[in-house]
Amino acid sequence: MDGPVVDTDAPERRLHPWSWLFVLLQQLKQFIFPLIALLVFGARKSDDGDPWLAFAPVIGIAVLVVLAILQYFTYRYVIGRDGLTVREGLLHRSRREIPFSRIHNVVVHQSLLHRVFGVAEVRLESAGGQKPEAQMRVLGLRDALALEDLVRHQARGPAAIQAAASDEPSRARDATLLALSTAEVIRLGLISNRGMIVVAAGFGAAWQILPERMIEQFFRQGAKQAFGYAEQLHLGWLAGAAGVAALVVLALALVRALSVVLALLQFHGFRLSEDARRLMVERGLLARLRTSVARRRIQAWTLHEGVLHRWFGRRSLRIDTAVAEKAGQQDQRALKDLAPIATPEACDALVNHLLPQAAWPRADWRPVAASARWRLLLPTLTWLLPATALAAWHLGPWAWCALAWLPASAYAAHRQASRMGWSLDGHLVAVRSGWWSRYWRFAEIDKLQALRLSRSPLDHACGTASLWLDTAGASGVAAPLALRFVPEAEARDAFERLSLALAQRRLRW
Amino acid sequence: MQIDTDTPIPLAPTDAWQALPARGAWLAALGGAALLFPFAFPAFFVARATDMVSPWLAVPVAAGVGALLGAWVAVKRHRRTRWRLDDRGFAVRRGNWWQSETHVPISRVQHLDVKRGPLERSAHLSTLVVHTAGTRMAAVSLSGLDADDAERLRERLATQVDHDDAL
Repeated sequence: MDGPVVDTDAPERRLHPWSWLFVLLQQLKQFIFPLIALLVFGARKSDDGDPWLAFAPVIGIAVLVVLAILQYFTYRYVIGRDGLTVREGLLHRSRREIPFSRIHNVVVHQSLLHRVFGVAEVRLESAGGQKPEAQMRVLGLRDALALEDLVRHQARGPAAIQAAASDEPSRARDATLLALSTAEVIRLGLISNRGMIVVAAGFGAAWQILPERMIEQFFRQGAKQAFGYAEQLHLGWLAGAAGVAALVVLALALVRALSVVLALLQFHGFRLSEDARRLMVERGLLARLRTSVARRRIQAWTLHEGVLHRWFGRRSLRIDTAVAEKAGQQDQRALKDLAPIATPEACDALVNHLLPQAAWPRADWRPVAASARWRLLLPTLTWLLPATALAAWHLGPWAWCALAWLPASAYAAHRQASRMGWSLDGHLVAVRSGWWSRYWRFAEIDKLQALRLSRSPLDHACGTASLWLDTAGASGVAAPLALRFVPEAEARDAFERLSLALAQRRLRW
Repeated sequence: MQIDTDTPIPLAPTDAWQALPARGAWLAALGGAALLFPFAFPAFFVARATDMVSPWLAVPVAAGVGALLGAWVAVKRHRRTRWRLDDRGFAVRRGNWWQSETHVPISRVQHLDVKRGPLERSAHLSTLVVHTAGTRMAAVSLSGLDADDAERLRERLATQVDHDDAL
């Protein structure tokens, strides 16, 4: 890298010479299904004497190669004083200015193939939108790390930029906040349900891609063979039940083992570190990923403790960032897991370190209205009663035994209602809920975007209200930041306090 | 609250809650009448399955009931809807049984849309959509606003946005 890069006429840079290969691979990934279709159906047609169709895939790939090489020659970027300028395109030219101050997240990604070639993919992400601001596929590893350093140090003035550009001793100053040992990652795999998700997704994909009858036949034959085998053994029903149970246990163990493997792949060598203003995570066994986020870009926090977490004496800490996330696509690259797994004390210490004014763990939890005990039971009632009645009508009176679920869920609702709570002060709003699987969710007041006070007819009857708080970057599946079953006067008071506080403060991203 | 249909309400952005002009009620009723579909479809399947009543009778009756019910609820909600713009921000209050009060602080407004469909244009009405960077309440929309009020609201909120640039 050359000296101070401050002028607009700083040298233009290109991607790594091997970048065309990775662009090509990416394009092949996108066109893999049309290409396979061409190969399969094209080959079949060519028997009839149309030779062109046999060449179609070859032509397609050749066109993609040319496009990839063209992209290498037309993609240029300039590192200016306050931002990055990216020029690309041959016929359709575009020039994009990206101010450093708008970049919320920097991702440096290295797959196994990237590591072989000594390169990395860099993504610069801003808030909102569907696409990253810039995706550099690929840069040499040194260039990638230098660029990452530059963005990280942008706000410290040109001196820091020089220092960052000249070499990378600055990285040694980073303080490690959390590092996971291999044993800890294995524990994470045992707790998490990644394996089950992958198996389910695999089944779904197989169902869609393979011809329908193939899977059906596979299952039928498998069942027949298993049944025949069991018949041969002449087992009693007790032994049969034991066999089935053993099979189920084996399947569960296999899924957990898969979870452990996946956790090792994703989180091996997990290290969370910070420098003056950014948090950084480095992780991955085969593909290494470095991703960073400015501390002030964190929108909301979720502390979670499931049953398995409790058995192992662990919790997990996740954050929401307002970074572009492709809709519907599970993108694991954004920095979401601050602590995939850690002891409760470590999680609390981490929150306290990053949010000093939060005074975490809080002692001022305010309880919810007593009516929550039976109102939490209502969702269960609405499906359990009709489902049981329907089952009893079809299958006979034994189905009414399903109502035995009711006391259990009443107990769960009771415990959950007594654990639910909320807390609000000048800096932070927090809710906690869940009994079997517990969570704490909190956000700085500055990060709130909108408030909604709502009351249903039941709320009118019980004298309660719900206060919904909206933050940026919250995913649809995460628990909402909502104060539910709160006595109306308290909810109105909180609503007033929050709207007053928000009017006086500016949004700090 | 008194509503004069001929002259628009003079908008001094006071702290008072403002109602929507009553001439938009029929538009709201039209929107609410879409409830006929969730009524008509089950009626069709139930009629086919049970043979109790001919689908030719059940479906129009159910659709009519659904449309009337939807329109009635929509007009009631329209009458109860209030909005307010003060120095704290923009607020919308809705409903009687299912009440909600949504508050968007001015500093959190990202951008604004004023939409006007052909029907709304004929009644000199507009829909104002206030966008924030949030997720569940990323767009707070209020339809049936007087068009002049909507313009003034947009100008007021937009100047605020210019003043404190969020990003």
